[in-house]
Amino acid sequence: MPIDGLKIIQAVMESSRIRESKGIIPIFGVYVSLFFVQYYNRLSFQYEKLLGEKGAAQAAAYLTEAAQECGYATFHGVRNSWEWQEIVQPMIEKPEDQILGFTAMAEAFGWGALQIQKIVPYVELRLRVHDSYEATGYQQVYGRAPSGKCYMLRGVTGAFMDLLYGDDYPDGCFSFKAEEIRCRAKGDAFCEFWARKNDAGHP
Amino acid sequence: MILDWRKELTRDGSRITLSGLHMAMHCHHYNINLQKMLEDTMGTEGIRLIVESAEEATFRGWYSILEQFQQIRTIKSKLELMASLYQNCGMGIIHFQRMTHKGGRIIGLSSHHVTGWLAKHGRRDTPGCHFTRGWIAGVMEVVYGRALGDYQVEETACKITGHTHCEFMAKEK
Repeated sequence: MPIDGLKIIQAVMESSRIRESKGIIPIFGVYVSLFFVQYYNRLSFQYEKLLGEKGAAQAAAYLTEAAQECGYATFHGVRNSWEWQEIVQPMIEKPEDQILGFTAMAEAFGWGALQIQKIVPYVELRLRVHDSYEATGYQQVYGRAPSGKCYMLRGVTGAFMDLLYGDDYPDGCFSFKAEEIRCRAKGDAFCEFWARKNDAGHP
Repeated sequence: MILDWRKELTRDGSRITLSGLHMAMHCHHYNINLQKMLEDTMGTEGIRLIVESAEEATFRGWYSILEQFQQIRTIKSKLELMASLYQNCGMGIIHFQRMTHKGGRIIGLSSHHVTGWLAKHGRRDTPGCHFTRGWIAGVMEVVYGRALGDYQVEETACKITGHTHCEFMAKEK
């Protein structure tokens, strides 16, 4: 695989230190902020708690959907940015390499160590993540989870496939749907996500 | 500034850390999607969740930072540091004005959440800087040595609705 993930990570870390005069960080086609993971974890897991046992599945669906729509817009912006064209595009040899670029970006954003296990174009993506901040954060506060807790990474996995194999932007979002088949928060050694075609065509 | 941003913001494996604290980068799409989803599905309770989550994370994070940089002693210099952290985290520009332990007025000249909301959804009729309300409350609790939850912050004007700046009023609960 030709993608130099370290080069992308370094580019993001360097760019994130550039602040324009308004205190806004515009990099890779999006406005980026940097904040404690505790904020995102509290927001997600308290939301789930507030909706109660009966609403837990709905909360998980909303959080995953928000992340998938975000991932779709974010990485669409990323791959159309001048930084991508300059740094990543020269490393891309075949369409699937874009996903390696996306995972390197996600790692650069501090979401965990992402490894692609399997890509079958138009069919499926299996993505393994070590040190997901969502799984770590859940365990620290609530102990062992009864189900997967990495809603952001789950949604983003679906978005990666949407961008490559869904209809052209902006019509391809939710063409794929991901499950979290392993999660460190429930005692697995790592988190793993499996995105497949979403025949329902909606979240 | 005593805190050397370039030195303190670093990586620990796949993690991003600031002075040893676990951070993550997220873009306006995610931050605004979360806000909109919480507002749409829970209304005021969703807004309160954003405020309280930002307040608690700010309180715990910046408390740890100030513990590590004890040479920053005065209220004024602590507030200046907090404003610079807000800017360095890409949250925007904020100015603390007429601050005392009882409360104060805070002006936001630019904001990640305003810029992000406007880019995705355009103007709205109600203030939208819930994250910053919580952030200010957490900062005041750290700077004035108070407990988590001691301050209440309201947004009295917001750029999202067409004002020239955002304005926040903070007071003791």
